[in-house]
Amino acid sequence: MTLAHKTPLTPLDDAFTPEGGKQLPAPLKSLRDIRSKAITGMALPNRRTENWKYSSRYLKLDPELAPQTQATGDADYRSVEGVYRLVIRNGLVDLESSALPTGDGIDIRRFADLDDVTAQSVARKLDTTLDHGTTQLAALNTARLEDGVLIRLSADTSVDQPVYIQYVTDAGASGSNYPRVMVEAGQGSKMTLVEEYISNGDQPVLVDSVSELLLDDSANITYIRLCMDPANVRHIGATGVKVGANARFDSHCIGFGGDLRRHDLQVRLEGQGGYARLNGIALTQDRQHYDNHTAIDHVVPNCDSDENYRCLAADRSHAIFNGRIHIHPDAQQSHADMNNKNLLLSTNAEIDTKPELEIYADDVTCAHGATVGQLDEGSLFYLTSRGIDRDTAATMLSMAFVHELVGQVPLEDIREAVNTRLTDFIEASFRRAAE
Amino acid sequence: MLTIKNLHASVEGTPILKGINLEIKPGEVHAVMGPNGSGKSTLAQVLVGHEAFEVTEGEILFDGQNLLELEVEERALAGLFLAFQYPVEIPGVSNLQFLRTALNTLRKHHGQDELDAPSFMKLAKEKAKQVDLSPDFLKRGVNEGFSGGEKKRNEIMQMLMMEPRLGILDETDSGLDIDALKTIANGVNTLRADDRSFLVVTHYQRLLNHIVPDVVHVLANGQIIKTGDKQLAMELEEHGYGWLGINEAEAAG
Amino acid sequence: MAESNKPEDFVKHEYEAGFVTDIESDTFEPGLNEDVIKRLSQIKGEPEWMLEWRLEAYRQFQEMTEPNWQKVNFDPVDLQSISYYSAPKKDTDKPQSLDEVDPELLRTYEKLGIPLHEQKALAGVAGAGTPAEAEASSEGGGAYSNVAVDAVFDSVSVVTTFKEKLAEAGVIFCSISEALQEHPELVKKYLGSVVPRGDNYFASLNSAVFSDGSFVYVPKGVKCPMELSTYFRINAENTGQFERTLIIADEGASVSYLEGCTAPQRDENQLHAAVVELVALDDAEIKYSTVQNWYPGDENGNGGIFNFVTKRGMARGRNSKISWTQVETGSAVTWKYPSCVLKGDNSVGEFYSVALTNNYQQADTGTKMIHLGKNTRSTIIAKGISAGHSDQSYRGLVKFQPTAEGARNFTQCDSLLIGDKCGAHTFPYIENKNSSATVEHEATTSKVSDEQMLFCRQRGIDPEQAVSMIVNGFCKEVFKELPMEFAVEAGKLLEVSLEGSVG
Repeated sequence: MTLAHKTPLTPLDDAFTPEGGKQLPAPLKSLRDIRSKAITGMALPNRRTENWKYSSRYLKLDPELAPQTQATGDADYRSVEGVYRLVIRNGLVDLESSALPTGDGIDIRRFADLDDVTAQSVARKLDTTLDHGTTQLAALNTARLEDGVLIRLSADTSVDQPVYIQYVTDAGASGSNYPRVMVEAGQGSKMTLVEEYISNGDQPVLVDSVSELLLDDSANITYIRLCMDPANVRHIGATGVKVGANARFDSHCIGFGGDLRRHDLQVRLEGQGGYARLNGIALTQDRQHYDNHTAIDHVVPNCDSDENYRCLAADRSHAIFNGRIHIHPDAQQSHADMNNKNLLLSTNAEIDTKPELEIYADDVTCAHGATVGQLDEGSLFYLTSRGIDRDTAATMLSMAFVHELVGQVPLEDIREAVNTRLTDFIEASFRRAAE
Repeated sequence: MLTIKNLHASVEGTPILKGINLEIKPGEVHAVMGPNGSGKSTLAQVLVGHEAFEVTEGEILFDGQNLLELEVEERALAGLFLAFQYPVEIPGVSNLQFLRTALNTLRKHHGQDELDAPSFMKLAKEKAKQVDLSPDFLKRGVNEGFSGGEKKRNEIMQMLMMEPRLGILDETDSGLDIDALKTIANGVNTLRADDRSFLVVTHYQRLLNHIVPDVVHVLANGQIIKTGDKQLAMELEEHGYGWLGINEAEAAG
Repeated sequence: MAESNKPEDFVKHEYEAGFVTDIESDTFEPGLNEDVIKRLSQIKGEPEWMLEWRLEAYRQFQEMTEPNWQKVNFDPVDLQSISYYSAPKKDTDKPQSLDEVDPELLRTYEKLGIPLHEQKALAGVAGAGTPAEAEASSEGGGAYSNVAVDAVFDSVSVVTTFKEKLAEAGVIFCSISEALQEHPELVKKYLGSVVPRGDNYFASLNSAVFSDGSFVYVPKGVKCPMELSTYFRINAENTGQFERTLIIADEGASVSYLEGCTAPQRDENQLHAAVVELVALDDAEIKYSTVQNWYPGDENGNGGIFNFVTKRGMARGRNSKISWTQVETGSAVTWKYPSCVLKGDNSVGEFYSVALTNNYQQADTGTKMIHLGKNTRSTIIAKGISAGHSDQSYRGLVKFQPTAEGARNFTQCDSLLIGDKCGAHTFPYIENKNSSATVEHEATTSKVSDEQMLFCRQRGIDPEQAVSMIVNGFCKEVFKELPMEFAVEAGKLLEVSLEGSVG
């Protein structure tokens, strides 16, 4: 039915654009004000909004979710060995809990601490990696900016340990927070960046996070994003990436669903010889929701991209994947490959997928494949015939489904932690299904 | 039949052929040998008009016609046939359909009637048999899912159908076992005639045991550095290209 | 040598069906309102319920807005500037035999290769030949030989052939206007049962103003003895064509139906908004093929048909099957998604499509497979060829409802680009709510490679023919689904669409 004009549009309440950002340097404060003005009254995504088609019903924004103002609380960060730690608590930078690198070539600073020149440069680059037409809630992040972090690598800097950002949310009371990270990787620099979202408490909290990564020519960033915090969190996250000539971006996004869990990953290949690999694993159970939207733009010729996302949905949960590859005019000799495989673990679960290609150049090779299915009965039977009980067999096969992607995570500690968490998660869902 | 005078050709500004002179008379079989990178495949490609190569100097006469003025398909209709080193796949277009179009275009060019479906089928099956290709291949897409050897046999089968004035074989022997090599050589030999010539491009001498050449040329660094009879090929086989002072690694570089 | 020998230089379009028939017509003044609908219904002598049905559709239509989610750009259609009825003038009512049909009309169809003389048509049967021969043969000819034709000219059906022969088998094949007179109970029962009046903007418009179209009923257990076909011709200026087709295959029945369409070459855009409904009961099978060759506009994108069509089949019964095959080369702007609702257990849906866009044509086309019944199966093979400055999208939905135990879908979408100024896009929606259902989707993009061109040309094949041959090969999986006679015609149509002089 084409009755679009009859569906009421909920405008974003001006309670959502309160005064704030007083700590920000002038250029950033001014950007905040511009966004704030722009989004007041903006229609919230509804089911007719293409990029929220399957998720708008999970999106409940109400003015009670007021911004959290304290960078203190009960929730604790996790102690991880062999990494530089940066703690962002309730959207605010917690330098006291952080353990930052001190060497030459790497500069990590709060937005609030930026000098004027740097602040101006950051303000110019902020919001340039994401298409706000499809990441409407990323604009809200800028409109509610309180603080953020700039991570800047000088040319040819190689950071010796991963930079591990822990986003800690106190969910003891309802509220919302708006963490913001900006990474500028200079020519030929190299870093592993980990982002993990952690929370504590059972009240509804909205986390609206935005990370932007700018890779200069020949830079190399491995990006690991872990969303394994409890289900009551409503998390809308966006990661925007620009990849320069001969630069390489590898991403591994792994997480569980939530009341609302949304991640937009947008990568623009803007220099020839650029490469992006996007791996993702999403698991949902109970009544959880997880919506992964990725977009890879081949803007110039001779870039390659490989994408591989896998989803498992159990119980009454709902997993969504939307992958888009866009080959711009004249981006000849682009090679893009997208693969999305999905497993439905329960009769009441739902998986929706949409692998899109938008192609405006002829001398390219692009392919995508998507499947939605179930565990292979033959394999299950084989394992059970060897005396393995059905739940264990199902867990083994489910883990096998994501094994290849977990194996590509380059840090062993994280790989092991992920394996444990995934196994627990999958075991639990089969146990419940059997009950 | 074919006269090549001072032929220079380059690809994207890099000279590959640097002054080739060659004359093939009716009925002769010429072999062009040379190490990798010497320009022998380029010569084959330039003859049929591959557009990636630019002819910068020299001329090619075929039966007195200036070949360089002709389009790829006009050269084919004039009687040039190239058995490709890497025959391309054309999904969905059956061998039959492809060959029938090609053959009838040629017949039309010569003022002959087009072959009707039954006589065409009869001919195609007969030629397929000659190169040990099962008639099933005729129904399959052009080279679609063919093995390397099957592709090469398919090329020779097409040559048998089209009966060119000048057959050019570009490394047709590479990747073939001895049985397949003999099959292909037999196919070529049945075509040998007083008014038909061949240019056999090869790295190794072994094909020349079965398709015996009248003249052998050695190509290095874009020029013919030695010409002789079939003995030359034997000596090359025995002594290697280094015998002629060719540094193979350098030439390939 | 010519300066360039790229595949795109050999893609030019000459539209062969672009002539105008000079014939006197009764045409409504442009404009749309309830009175126009009443007048239309009155001229056709429709029963009261039909008029009420139309008016209700019109009321729903007025509540709607034109959809804009398709990936196409065009100026909005001014529905008030269109005439909603145009029919060749005639003294009597419907002609009783061919002798009464205006000779000018007969000449029109002859020119288009559509025989309306049954004797002549039958004479062609003997020459059909074996598939292998037909494939090897470049002579198409006689495509419509053993086929019953309903010829629709602007708003009305001018003649339907082979009616008696079909009646012997119990098959009803007539214009929908005639069906409303002769078989109102069947029309009333099924009309709107698959595409409801309020389904979408253009379907609602069609429900209000449809002027004619074809009606087929194949009774229980009957295999329709010949191919049925409707040939649509738009002739008059400033008219829209709103045809309605309804095909019912009763239990155990089967029928193969084909539609073809052409229009004169004009600078103005013309609207074609059809609705096709198919109903297959238990064990029934309907195969619906389309060769769409509406005028696509000129090489600068002026003129051409807006082809906004709703086609949907309901596989209602157990083991029923609905198969859509389409070859789309025409129209300036197309959006259509022939769909299958697989309601009956074990029912099967198929969609085989070739769409070619050239110059400034735009097409947003695909299918929907809605799986409701147990063990339902669907296959989608879509081949898109984009050339010139054209833009083409495949848009599809595969949906498994919780009831679709053990359902299966396989989808393959391939795009072929010819030239670097065109676009090819894929938007597949996959929604799975049943853990025992399986869907597999694959898509690829490729071009006509320089190596393929060299290979063909080295064998003496000229570049135009080479492009056409490679494109035909790309489409083969779809062509083999077409009824034999039409596969040859479809191949030729692609050739015509790609034809042009070198340089």
